[in-house]
Amino acid sequence: MIRDERNAAGFQWLLLFSVFVVATCGLIYELVAGTLASYLLGDSVTQFSTIIGTYLFAMGIGSYLSRFLKDNLLGWFISIELMVGMVGGFSAGVLFILFEQVVYFRIILYALVVLTGTLVGLELPLLMRILKDRVEFSDLVSRIFTFDYIGALFASLLFPLIFIPYLGLLRTSFFFGFLNVGVAWIVAYRFRHDLRGYRSLRWSAIVCLVLLAAGFALSEHLTRLSESLTYPDKIVYAKSSPYQRIVLTRGGNDWRLFLNGNLQFSSLDEYRYHEALIHPGLSRVHHPQNILVLGGGDGMAVREILKYPSVRKITLVDLDNSITTLFKSNEALMKLNQRSLMSPAVTVVNQDAFVWIREQKNTYDFITIDFPDPSNYSLGKLYTTTFYRELRRLLAPGGCLVIQSTSPFVARKSFWIVDETLRKTGFATLPYHCYVPSFGEWGFVMGFQGELPEDYTLPAGLRFISAATLPPLYSFPPDMDRVASEANTLNNQVLVNTFEKEWADYTR
Amino acid sequence: MISRRKFVTRLVQGAGASLLLPALQHCRPAETMHAQLGGPDAALGHRLRTMDFGPPVSDTTTGIVIIGGGVAGLSAARYLKRYTSDFTLLELAAEPGGNAIGGQNAVSQYPWGAHYLPLPNDQDPELVAFLQETRVITGYTDGLPVYNEYHLCFDPQERLYINGYWQAGVIPRAGIPASDRDEIERFLALMHEYKEMRGSDGREAFAIPVANSSQDLVLRQLDSISMETFLTQHNFTSPFLRWYVQYCCADDFGSAPADTSAWAGIHYFASRKGKAANAPSDTVLTWPEGNGWLTNQLQTPLREHIHTRSMVHNIQWSHGQVAVTYFDATAGVSRRIRARAAIVATPQFIARRLLPDAPRAFRPEAFQYAPWMVANVTTTAGLTEKRGEPVCWDNVLYGSESLGYVNAVHQKAGLTGAERVLTYYLPLLGTDALARRQLAQRTTADAWTDIILADLRRPHPTIEQYISSVDLWIWGHGMIRPEPGFIWGTDRLQAARPLQDTVYFAHSDLSGLSIFEEAFYQGHTAARQAWQKL
Ligand SMILES: Cc1cc2nc3c(=O)[nH]c(=O)nc-3n(C[C@H](O)[C@H](O)[C@H](O)COP(=O)(O)OP(=O)(O)OC[C@H]3O[C@@H](n4cnc5c(N)ncnc54)[C@H](O)[C@@H]3O)c2cc1C
Repeated sequence: MIRDERNAAGFQWLLLFSVFVVATCGLIYELVAGTLASYLLGDSVTQFSTIIGTYLFAMGIGSYLSRFLKDNLLGWFISIELMVGMVGGFSAGVLFILFEQVVYFRIILYALVVLTGTLVGLELPLLMRILKDRVEFSDLVSRIFTFDYIGALFASLLFPLIFIPYLGLLRTSFFFGFLNVGVAWIVAYRFRHDLRGYRSLRWSAIVCLVLLAAGFALSEHLTRLSESLTYPDKIVYAKSSPYQRIVLTRGGNDWRLFLNGNLQFSSLDEYRYHEALIHPGLSRVHHPQNILVLGGGDGMAVREILKYPSVRKITLVDLDNSITTLFKSNEALMKLNQRSLMSPAVTVVNQDAFVWIREQKNTYDFITIDFPDPSNYSLGKLYTTTFYRELRRLLAPGGCLVIQSTSPFVARKSFWIVDETLRKTGFATLPYHCYVPSFGEWGFVMGFQGELPEDYTLPAGLRFISAATLPPLYSFPPDMDRVASEANTLNNQVLVNTFEKEWADYTR
Repeated sequence: MISRRKFVTRLVQGAGASLLLPALQHCRPAETMHAQLGGPDAALGHRLRTMDFGPPVSDTTTGIVIIGGGVAGLSAARYLKRYTSDFTLLELAAEPGGNAIGGQNAVSQYPWGAHYLPLPNDQDPELVAFLQETRVITGYTDGLPVYNEYHLCFDPQERLYINGYWQAGVIPRAGIPASDRDEIERFLALMHEYKEMRGSDGREAFAIPVANSSQDLVLRQLDSISMETFLTQHNFTSPFLRWYVQYCCADDFGSAPADTSAWAGIHYFASRKGKAANAPSDTVLTWPEGNGWLTNQLQTPLREHIHTRSMVHNIQWSHGQVAVTYFDATAGVSRRIRARAAIVATPQFIARRLLPDAPRAFRPEAFQYAPWMVANVTTTAGLTEKRGEPVCWDNVLYGSESLGYVNAVHQKAGLTGAERVLTYYLPLLGTDALARRQLAQRTTADAWTDIILADLRRPHPTIEQYISSVDLWIWGHGMIRPEPGFIWGTDRLQAARPLQDTVYFAHSDLSGLSIFEEAFYQGHTAARQAWQKL
């Protein structure tokens, strides 16, 4: 079979080299799985030890199974190497996409680990059998294991130092899959004369290489694909601004805006939210003229405010000009906000509300605050006594402000912290809530100084707020009723801590 | 879950899109990053040694001349301003502020040195008055000061990177053995005793200013041993506690426990008794630009009295008369100014050169200074880090000789988080003064950057990729080191003695402790004495 001495030596070294590659790649796949699992599932110590343990055990299974492979050992060796490349190369991508979709994510994770381990475990015994008649046994064992262990060292050093920082997880795993398959092909080609079924192996290798290369090139898209899988409807617009990830989806009539994955509105019921945000407060202000909107760059709150004919000037302060531009230029969205942002009464200011507000001198008859929920310390600053004190300075006599204050059902304490913070700042408050199907039970706190008139005039054409539906909004059932709470300040940030805990408990 | 997922997206995308370059870029910060080395006007300072100034080209007079515009000099000027406008302050640098100076780049203001003030004790009326003038204290409720919430450190204040995890608070807690935790508790309880303690003379055992502390001999004895000896004597052996004490000594003195007086070491824990109506007592006052905010407040009403880029190089005096010559670096000429009294608000290693023949009975070598390296590291959005508490104002690294870093954007009112300026503090410890100074002078910007990155890479493994600039500052004589014997020895008191009721001295090194409160106290005390004599 083998023609001469030189050939025999070449044969041996090439196979040993592929042991080295298989060992490197095999360990890399495990590191990828371990890393992904620790970030997705947490608790890295447990994840890494169970994954490495399972991997080693699976290699044992592979070694055991190797006895059932009888002839065409070289052919088997190459096919298995191709399989390792495919399974390992795609494992990170598959896991990443499936994480959001599958309840039994762990099962898939360990199945992949077992599969890779078994395949890698098959390789060494096979190789020993291929080479057993050509190399002294003691040399054979020593060489094979040396290469195996060098490969392991190589992998464990390169992975954290080079590959993760520069390629990222997905590309790393595709890259090694490619390497794996590439080496298999070279081996096949080198021994094409001694190999049964060379042609089909060659074709398999080419297909694998193309797939892996495509995977590598499309890694970026893959992360996006996995994002689109997290939204129930089709993504029609997605953009990362310096401040947030903006995603707009559409399913039939239902347009939904997500910021950093959090739902901002659904076009089917946003009128409930925005009518509730504006009318209970604004309808009580006598002859409102000058209005301030903080947050709310979608223009929906402005749309409601424009229903009051006395309004002369609306200043909208939203950090992110990607949002205000989107709602000033997209036809479908402009239908939703009724081109409110194009109104000559509206001035859009793209600035940090806290920074902006400290420099203001003018007063406003009505102020509405529609910030994202206080889910981090940075946003938490916008719900503090300090911030509300600045607002008090800007509120004209007889005016009022309204703050969206998360869900009093899910985050009951958080809601009442907002109320307490306003009171601490010297406001009288009137908390209320309403039901928005896509959000659930939602809360608002109205703040004013002195007495606010009991009587109010609602504009015509509202779909949710009416003289009849208003009174129940002010009464809280026992499960959402007031709880004693502390005021939120810049130096205690109790709101963020409470909010985080309440939502985590609810969504668990 | 959301935050984890976000993390993964970063991780999955990787940072370097290119396959070709990784090996080349490895370990070196991105090319966009540049390191710059600065320091207090070194070139000018060196001329003080060579003294090659021409004869003065002008001769003017003023009532009182203040030399040095750090906290002490500015505080002296603030005091005088109440009674007179006949005084002049000469400051070497282009900006007053001294060790409390701040800087600024496109991302944020940041400190170059002093960065916080603990809530002051109410026994410090002059300081409290200053804080009221500047509306840092906005009023009183139930007898307690209400602090301006913009200036109280925002929550979360501090975290410690230990055992691969960011824990809340800087006292080691996460994953440490119960016996060590007990020892830390025992230590803190002991410090609390000292905090409540009064000496046989009825005064507080440990007070700010130091001058108000009890003279009780038993307490003063603590100054004769090192903090390390004190720990050993009290059987404190836990490495976690020892590190924590080392961190605290570095924070206030820039020295290791072995080189720090036990009296000073305890002072750190036992002297701060400030309370607030609207914050816990361990809250600090801080600003994006650090104590530069305070020195700006101090200097604003004093502008017309301050001459910057004016380096004093000689002081002649006789009873009731001083003649100060200084180099006006803007015009490039020497000038003379005559006054009836002078307040020398420079550190003593400089004051000595300005007054070469003065009969001051102290040993110059008793005044030892700690050099500091301060780096402002600007990072781009998305800096990754290890698990645990999110970024705080103060971010300390367990086991490190550095103080870790302060997040300068933390105290900005608006949204923060994307880009940051991390102010990294490294005291140059060590017993040998010459070795310390050489380390400070000879290390290159690149070598400093490597040292900083090696430290910061622990909690932020890929930080290189997020750094847009590194700016460095070396303080050759950053802080006075209260070595054993210095606080209650005679050198400090001798150096503080005025010369013939004409030349007064005011600098934090005369207190033996380099903190804002002491510098401020030194300034207004010297000014009061000078003014009373006139
Ligand atoms: C890295 C670092 C961090 C610190 N952090 C803190 C902190 O967080 N909190 C805290 O309270 N303290 C801190 N300190 C201590 C700080 O030094 C003091 O709080 C205070 O700023 C000292 O003020 P000073 O006036 O005594 O001295 P300096 O600041 O030394 O003032 C002396 C002034 O004299 C000027 N000068 C010197 N020679 C001449 C001359 N020949 N002619 C004219 N002018 C001259 C100098 O330029 C300088 O402005 C820190 C110090 C350092 C170095």
